[in-house]
Amino acid sequence: MSQPAVIQANGLVKNFGNVRALDGLDLQISQGEIHGFLGPNGAGKSTTIRVLLGLLRADGGSAQLFGRDPWADAVDLHRRLAYVPGDVELWPNLTGGEAIDLFARLRGHLDKKRRDTLCERFDLDPSKKARTYSKGNRQKVALISALASQVDLLLLDEPTAGLDPLMEIIFQECIREEQAKGTTVFLSSHILAQVEALADRVSIIRQGQVVQTGTLKSMRHMTRTTITVETAAPADGLTRVVGVHDVRTNDGQVSFEVDGEHVESVLREVSALGVRSIVAHPPTLEQLLLRHYGDKVA
Amino acid sequence: MTATATRAPERAATGEASALAGLGAMVRFMLRRDRIKFPAWTLGLALFVVYIGSALPVIAPTEQELTASVPMLQQPIGRMFTGPAYGLDAITYERFFSAGYVAYLYIVAALMTIFLVTRHTRTEEQTGRAELIRANVVGRHTPLTAALVVALITSLVAGLLVTATAVSQGFAVTGSVLVGLGVVFVALCFAGITAVTVQLTEYSRAAAGLAGAILGLAFIIRALGDMAAIGGSALSWASPLGWATQTAPFVLDRWWPLALVAALAVAAVVVAYLLQARRDLGAGLVAARQGRPEAGRWLAGPWGLAARLQRSAILAWGGGIVALGVVDGLFTQTMLDVGDTMPEALGQVFGSDALATGYLAFLAVFSGYMTAAYVVYSVQALRAEERSGRGEAVLATPTSRVAWAGSHLGVVALGASGIMLVTGLLTGTAAAAVTGTWSFVADSVLAHANLLPAVLVVLGLCALVFGWLPRFLGIIGWTMVGVMFFVGNFAPMMDAPQWLIDLSPLSHPANYPVEEFEIVPVLVLAGIALTGVLVGLVGLTRREVLQRG
Repeated sequence: MSQPAVIQANGLVKNFGNVRALDGLDLQISQGEIHGFLGPNGAGKSTTIRVLLGLLRADGGSAQLFGRDPWADAVDLHRRLAYVPGDVELWPNLTGGEAIDLFARLRGHLDKKRRDTLCERFDLDPSKKARTYSKGNRQKVALISALASQVDLLLLDEPTAGLDPLMEIIFQECIREEQAKGTTVFLSSHILAQVEALADRVSIIRQGQVVQTGTLKSMRHMTRTTITVETAAPADGLTRVVGVHDVRTNDGQVSFEVDGEHVESVLREVSALGVRSIVAHPPTLEQLLLRHYGDKVA
Repeated sequence: MTATATRAPERAATGEASALAGLGAMVRFMLRRDRIKFPAWTLGLALFVVYIGSALPVIAPTEQELTASVPMLQQPIGRMFTGPAYGLDAITYERFFSAGYVAYLYIVAALMTIFLVTRHTRTEEQTGRAELIRANVVGRHTPLTAALVVALITSLVAGLLVTATAVSQGFAVTGSVLVGLGVVFVALCFAGITAVTVQLTEYSRAAAGLAGAILGLAFIIRALGDMAAIGGSALSWASPLGWATQTAPFVLDRWWPLALVAALAVAAVVVAYLLQARRDLGAGLVAARQGRPEAGRWLAGPWGLAARLQRSAILAWGGGIVALGVVDGLFTQTMLDVGDTMPEALGQVFGSDALATGYLAFLAVFSGYMTAAYVVYSVQALRAEERSGRGEAVLATPTSRVAWAGSHLGVVALGASGIMLVTGLLTGTAAAAVTGTWSFVADSVLAHANLLPAVLVVLGLCALVFGWLPRFLGIIGWTMVGVMFFVGNFAPMMDAPQWLIDLSPLSHPANYPVEEFEIVPVLVLAGIALTGVLVGLVGLTRREVLQRG
């Protein structure tokens, strides 16, 4: 028997008044996967997570966590997951340590040693009242509390937006350790480098729909590679080659983009010109995103 | 464009002037944000005058009937709640208006500016919006100054409308102007006091609460001072509300007590600026302390969290209500002394010959609506948990909605019960201590216990609204407290419609210890309270958890 997906959403719809926040969203995330959820602000990332937490009720479609309904079985499901919101609000008169312990006890299990180790790794002073914490420190409290909880699923909503680059490295280490333990991680983010570094698979969300999903490798295949060459013969003819776009000449070097499926034929054309130097970049996540959001940028 | 026109002088300005940069724009901005609240408060005050002015001739069409209702204002408890009762021996409608209701105009005016100043200063800092504003060409003292200017404009308009409507009711012009000026000065006085309290704490609710507590204290001091004698006593002169009512409009028409109110307003504003100059944006004057690095044993589970979060509200409200009860209890003997010198007709006011039992019953009602106010405030704190996203964080753990909200409501129920019973005990003990009648202790405790289910009905109502119509929690909750307050103090005086009297849960239990205790209404009210909570929790499990909703 095949295991049900940890997260499964089919045609999820959510309206807020006249605004359609989710418009037929599909997701499938299997056990042990780190899944990047990419999209700009307002695309529906947080709404998706709130539906998965059973805080909001979908207007259409279906969502399942571990094969169960997140609205009806919220309490049971929450035993198996931990959530880090993008905008962490804490009780101003409780210390960070008190908040971490409280969340652990609400989940039913407090591992003091692990809590202390994590506080040290993330360099958090747990004796300060939450009102004195910066955004980054409040985020550390939520992260430590989630990472200390030993759950099957981590729902992370832009978890490191307020953290500095050193903490970002620690965060990535911790997530890899979680993955080694078999934890599933749903990582909503707009930090592309983070998703590139961590995610096995990526879903790109746009206006409440997942417009593309798959491994980064498969996505790159569908997009353009950037090539910069210096050739013996003039490269003017390249503009007419099928699959070549955006030819620019700069200081004797020619840069252009090639569609994934035409790389081979284009390279044959280029080598005929006598290649002196060549640099090829795989498409970056930025380019992947821009492909879907290009109309907004332009 | 105005921006270019004003830029040059601003750049040239130094010191004091640059601390006020952008004042005009800020004032316009605040008035724009207040476009609903400004007319609501000012017209509301004017409507109150119109309502009283037109109700009085209906309630008491003849001079005889008007004279017959004088004892209600003139007797000690009447004076506690209305004022020094000047000029009632030759009663007119305008004097009845002045003696019976003007003190409440002043209280509403004070609340108006307390909320206004808090809203435009500390709330802005707490939310971080002030940081955005101050990062522009806006001086250090601009937001506070702009808030005070808006308070001044609002108070002047309110005073003008009150004067105009009073004159339109056929009241004498001099007295009407004096009432209007009273509104202006009291409003400004509490604008100044709030300007100080917003410097002290980082939280807008605490700042408004502190200013409200000062208003409450001013009311109690005046109440006890006025209770002691017709025309007030020395104690009446220790309260800004006392000064304002000592103007005795339509009777003595004294102007000079308003100078005291103005002086306090100016002094408070000066203190506010001195304090503001000494602190950072967003900070209070009380620095944050280090806390425990680990949670204590009690901070576990939803009940532990709810108890911890509700603790300070229980202590603050409870402390205040108990203290008021004790002070009122200590005045029982004074009450009896002055009551003895009053005509026999007075007994009818309480529905009893025994002044003391009537007084104790009255104090229980007083504790009842004060505790109801605590209940509404505390359920709003639960709503604030939801709106801030902290509730979401708790609900993302294996904590059910019923456990999350139910623990808060349970803690509030326990808090309200504790406040009512302790107030009953200590009020009764104070009354017994000064009179030597020790049965007052049991009378007072039972009188308070008798009203407790009625107070819990307010909790049931708030839970119901929170579960089904969370956006309306504040308006419905505070309207209910307003109804309880109005019915408790004015219903007999105003000939209030029966449906309004019935709307207040406090009207339904027997008026113990004046009447015999009855168990049925108490059980029915307790049943209503419980039903409200349960239906509210059902609603919560069916609706969505909304941030900033």
